[in-house]
Amino acid sequence: MLAKLHDISVNFGEVRALDNVSLDISPNQIHAIVGENGAGKSTLMSVLFGLNVNYSGQIFIDEINKNWSTPSDAIKAGIGMVHQHFMLIESMTVLENIILGSEPNKYLGFLDFQFAKKKLYDLLRTYNFSINLNQTVGELSVGQRQMVEILKTLYRSAALIILDEPTAVLTPAERADLFNSLQDFKNAGKSIILITHKIDEVMANADHVSVMRSGQLISSLPINSTSRGQISDEIVGASKTKSISRKKIKPGPVKLHLSDLDVLGMPQIGNAFNLEVKANEIVGIAGVAGNGQAELVEAIIGLRSSKSGLIEICGTNVTEVDISTRRDAGLCYIPEDRQKRGLALDAQLSENASISLLASKAFAKGPFLRKTKIKNFTEDLIKKFDVKASSSSALANSLSGGNKQKLIIARELSLESDVIIAENPTWGVDLGAINQIHYELLSMRENGHAILLVSSDLDEILTLSDRVLVMFESELSHSFRTEKVTREELGELMLMKASEKKKRKRQISHEAI
Amino acid sequence: MLADLFDPAFADSVARIAVPILLASLGGAICHRAGVFNIALEGFILMGAFAAVLGTFMLGHVFWGVLSAILAGVFMGLLFAEFHLRRPGDAIVVSIALNLIGLGLTTYLLRAVLGVSGVFQDEALGKIIEINIPLIESLPVLGSFLSGQSILFYISIFLVFILHYIYSRHKLGFWMRAAGENPLALKTVGIKPAPVKLLALVLCGICCGLAGAQLSISNVSLFVENMSAGRGWIAVVIVLVTNGRPIPLLGLVLLFGFVDSLSLRLQGFGFPQQFTEMMPYIASLIALIFVSIRRIKDLVGMRGYDNG
Amino acid sequence: MTALSLFLILLLLLNLADANFFEASQAFLKSAFGGRKYAYLYVTISRCALITGMAIAALIAFRAGLINIGGEGQLVIGGFIAAFISIYSGVTGVAGITLAILSAMIGGGLWAVLAGLMKLKLGVPILVGTLLLNYPARYITSYFVSHPLRDVSSGMPQTHLLDKSLWLPFVEGTRLDIGFMFILIVYAFVLVYSYRTVPGYHAKMTGLSIEFAATSGINIFNTTLKTLAFSGAIAGLVGAIAVLGIHHRFTDGMLVQPLYAWTGIVAALLINLVPWAILPAGFFFASLTSGASGMERTADVPKEIAIIIQGIIILFVAARATSIASGSKKKEEGS
Repeated sequence: MLAKLHDISVNFGEVRALDNVSLDISPNQIHAIVGENGAGKSTLMSVLFGLNVNYSGQIFIDEINKNWSTPSDAIKAGIGMVHQHFMLIESMTVLENIILGSEPNKYLGFLDFQFAKKKLYDLLRTYNFSINLNQTVGELSVGQRQMVEILKTLYRSAALIILDEPTAVLTPAERADLFNSLQDFKNAGKSIILITHKIDEVMANADHVSVMRSGQLISSLPINSTSRGQISDEIVGASKTKSISRKKIKPGPVKLHLSDLDVLGMPQIGNAFNLEVKANEIVGIAGVAGNGQAELVEAIIGLRSSKSGLIEICGTNVTEVDISTRRDAGLCYIPEDRQKRGLALDAQLSENASISLLASKAFAKGPFLRKTKIKNFTEDLIKKFDVKASSSSALANSLSGGNKQKLIIARELSLESDVIIAENPTWGVDLGAINQIHYELLSMRENGHAILLVSSDLDEILTLSDRVLVMFESELSHSFRTEKVTREELGELMLMKASEKKKRKRQISHEAI
Repeated sequence: MLADLFDPAFADSVARIAVPILLASLGGAICHRAGVFNIALEGFILMGAFAAVLGTFMLGHVFWGVLSAILAGVFMGLLFAEFHLRRPGDAIVVSIALNLIGLGLTTYLLRAVLGVSGVFQDEALGKIIEINIPLIESLPVLGSFLSGQSILFYISIFLVFILHYIYSRHKLGFWMRAAGENPLALKTVGIKPAPVKLLALVLCGICCGLAGAQLSISNVSLFVENMSAGRGWIAVVIVLVTNGRPIPLLGLVLLFGFVDSLSLRLQGFGFPQQFTEMMPYIASLIALIFVSIRRIKDLVGMRGYDNG
Repeated sequence: MTALSLFLILLLLLNLADANFFEASQAFLKSAFGGRKYAYLYVTISRCALITGMAIAALIAFRAGLINIGGEGQLVIGGFIAAFISIYSGVTGVAGITLAILSAMIGGGLWAVLAGLMKLKLGVPILVGTLLLNYPARYITSYFVSHPLRDVSSGMPQTHLLDKSLWLPFVEGTRLDIGFMFILIVYAFVLVYSYRTVPGYHAKMTGLSIEFAATSGINIFNTTLKTLAFSGAIAGLVGAIAVLGIHHRFTDGMLVQPLYAWTGIVAALLINLVPWAILPAGFFFASLTSGASGMERTADVPKEIAIIIQGIIILFVAARATSIASGSKKKEEGS
C-alpha cells in the first residue's frame, strides 16, 4: 500500500501539535518515525488511523483521497494499528479480542467462531506465531498481548501496519521475535510504520527513517543515506544537550537502607531487596519498565506493604509506619505519574505546591491555613524553577507537561528531605526542562542529599548516578560504580533471559568463594 | 412448623417477589456491563408501574398496560442517555435526578390525571395473563413456583439465558462488554461506544418497565405512591455483587425472593413488621460485604486508598 | 434554552392538573414568602434550615469524594435520638436541649462512620453502604415508635410530646423557632472549614485526587472517617432541630417523606459543591417546596411538582458536567 500524508496540521487548543507534515509510506518497507516524546509522532498516526479527525490536510491511499470519520474507515482501507497502550478487553479470550468489531456473522448477528478460527490458524501458520486462541487475555504476558494486537491487524487484512513504541515493554527475546515478524510482513508486501525513539532499533531494522521534532517533519531518508549521528542530531535539534558533569564527592553516611525487603505483589517472583543510598550520592536503578521498579518504589514510599524486611530512613525504621511519618523521617518522592500522583489537576497551583509541607504544619497555625504564606511560597517556587504559569491560583491542569513536572520537583525538593526518590523524573518532558531537572538533582546531591533514581532511560542513569543497579524480573543486580561499567554491560543485564541470569549469578557466587 | 413455612403458597410468593427484582437487575446488569453506572432503577421501575396502570385503565386492556410500561421505561432510558451520553453528565447525578423525577412524576400524575392520592384501584384493572403448565403444576411445592405465574416470570427467566448467550456468542454482547471494560479499545476497532451504551440503556428501560408492570398489574392490580419501595436499590446491589453476570444474578435474585418470602411468613409468627421489611436490605448488605472482602483480597499489597 | 424547556414542562404539568398558570403562580408566591403575618415565610425559613443543613452534610462528604447519599438515615437516627433522649433522660430546659442536640449529632455521625468503616475495612462502596443504611435506620426507628416508645393515645406511630421546656423557643415577635440559627452557625463554620482550615483542605485534596493526597502524606483513613462523622453529625443536628423546633416529637416517616435528605443532595449538586452558595441554594429549594404546597392548597396542583422541578433542574445542571466522582478513580462500577 502506498500511503501519502499531505500537509497535515493539528492544533490542540493553542498548541500546534502538527505543522504541515507531508510523508510518503511505500510498500515492502519498514518505515521508522523517530523523535522525542511530544514531537508529534503519535498525533500523526492518530490522524492516519482516523482516531483524530480534527486536522487539516489530505490523506491519499494508493493515490485516492480519503476522508476518515472513524477508525473503521481506516481499517476498511487496510490500515492497522498496534497502540502503545494495548487496546484489549482483558476478560475476553484471544479469539474474542481479535474478532471484536469485525465479527464473522453466522445468522442474526450471532458469531461464526469456526470461520474465524480457520482464518486465524492460517495466519498463525503463515507467520509462524504460536498462541492459544482460547486463553483469556488477562492471563497473557505483555509480549503475547502484543501478538494479539498484531493478529488483530492481520485478521483485518491490513496492508499497512502502524506500531507505536512496540518494544518499550518487551523482553529482548520478544523484541527479536517481533522484528523477525516485521521482516516477514515486509516480505509479504505490507508497509510497516515503526514509531520509536530508539535509534539502535531503527538502524538495525528500518529501511527508511523520518525524524520529527516539535510537530514538524525534519527529514525523511532511506536508512543508507543517513547515519546514527545525523539522526540523533536531528531529533535533538540545534539546542544540543549540555553535558552535565558530576563533581567528585565522597559519599556521607547511609540515609536510605533496605534490608531483606520482601515486597507484596511484585510482578515476578524475585529475591528480597538489599540497598543502601548514602548522603551525597545518587544511586540509579535501571531496567525495562514492568520489572518491579514501580512496586519497589511504592514500598519505600509507603503505598505498598511488605511481607518482611526493613526500610530505614536516616536510621529510623519506617517499615510499618504511614506515608506522612515516612516523609517526616526525611523522605520525598517525585512520582512517575504526575497526572495522578504528582498533582491534583483541578486544584490551584498553591494548593498543589503546599500539600507536602502542610503535612508538617509549616503553613498552618493551629487548624487554620496561612494563605498569604502559602501564596508567597508558591510564587517563590514558580520563580525559582521557572514554571510557566499565569498565577499561583491557576489550576494545575493549565500547565504544560514539562511545567507540571517542574512544579512537582520544585515542591518535593523544597522539602529538603534527606532522601529523595525520583521515578523517571524527566519522562515526557522537553529538553530544556530535562537539563534543569538534572541540574537540580545534582545540586541536591552536592548539598548532602541521598537520591534514589529509578529510570528506564539508561542515559539518564549513566549521567546522574554514582552507582547503578539493574532491576530484572523483580530482582536487583549488585551495584556497579558508574565509571566501571559500560552501557553494553548494563544493557545486557537489563535484557538477560532469566536462565542466563541464574547462570551468571552462579558464576559470580563461584568467584566470591 | 416447617410445613407451615414452606407450602405451595410460599413457593408462589418467592416467584412473585423475585420477578420484578429479576427484571430490574437484568436491566441494571445490561447497563453495568456496558459501562453505564445506572442507579436510577428505582425511578425506572416506578415509571413502569405507573404507566402499566395508566395504560390499562385508559386503553382497557393489560396488553396496553404492558406496552405503556415498556415505553415509559424506554423514555427514562432515553432521558438518561441524553444527559449522560450526549451531554457529559455524571451518571450518579443523572441517576439521582431521574429517581426524583420518577417519584415526583408518578405521584403528580396519580393526582392530576387519575384524581386520587395514595392508591389507585379500579375494577377495570386486570392482571397480566398467568400460565398454567400441565404436569408441572401438579408437582408438590415446586409446581406452584414454576406454574401459574405471570407470563413475565417465564419471559424474565428466558431473558437470563438469552442474555448469557448474547454475551458469549453475539456481536452486540461483545460490543457491550467491550464498551464497559475498555471503550477506547472498542473505538479503535471502529465501533463507537456511545450508541452501544444507548442500546444498553434502552434495553434496561424495557426490563425495568416490565418490572414495574409486574408489580402493579400482576402481583396486585393497583398503583401506590412510591410503589417500587427500594426494589431498585436492591437490584443495584445485586448487579454489583454478581458483577452483572446473568446466571449468578438469577441465583441471587431467587435467594432474595426466598429471604423476602420467609420474612413475610415470619410476620405471621409474630415478628414485628419493621424487622421483616428490613430483611432484604440487611441481606443485600451482607451479600455485598461478602463479595467486597473477596475483591479487596485480590489487591495484593496495595494499601487501599480508593474511597469511591 | 434550559429556562424555556423548564417553563414549557411546567405549563404542561399545570395543564394536566387543570390549573390556571396565573392562579398557580400567585398561590406559589404567597405560600413561599407571604401569608398572614408572614406565617408562610417563617415556614419557608424553617424548611430552608433543614434543607440547607442536609445540603451542607452532603456537600462536606461530596467534596472529599465520599458519595454519602445516606443523609436520610443519619437524619432519622439523629431525630429519633433527640426525641428519645428528651423524653427519657429527664433533663429539662437548656441543658436538656443541649444534651438532645449533642446526642443526635453523635448518633448521626456514628451512623455515617459505620458506612465509612464498611468501606475501609470491608470494601463496600460508600455510595451503596450509606444508601443501604437508610433502611435499617428507617425501620428500626419505625419499630420503636410503633411499639415500645409509642404514644398509644395519639393513635399514630409516634412518641409522646416532649416536655415544653425542651421546645426550641421562637424568635421574639415571630412564629419562627431558633432552629435556623443553628444552621447559620453551621454554615459559617463550614465556610471557614472549607476555605481556611487544614482538615478542610485535606478533604478537598482527597476529593480531587485520592492518589495524589495519599502520596503526599494525607491519611486517607482518618480523613474519610472524620469527614463522614462531620457530615453525619450535621444530618443528626438537622434531625434534632426538626424534633425540638418543629414537631416536638418523633413521628414515623416525618423526616423521610418530605425528602429533606434528597433535596439537600440536589441543592449541593446544583451549586457544583461551592460552599458559600449552599445557603442560597437551600433557600431556593425551600421556597420551591413551600410554594408547591401553596399551589396544592389553592390551585389544586399536586405538591410533587416541586420534586419534578428539582429533578429537571439537576438534569440540566448535571449536563453541565457536575461531577461528584471525579476525584476518586473514575471506575464506573463504584466498586
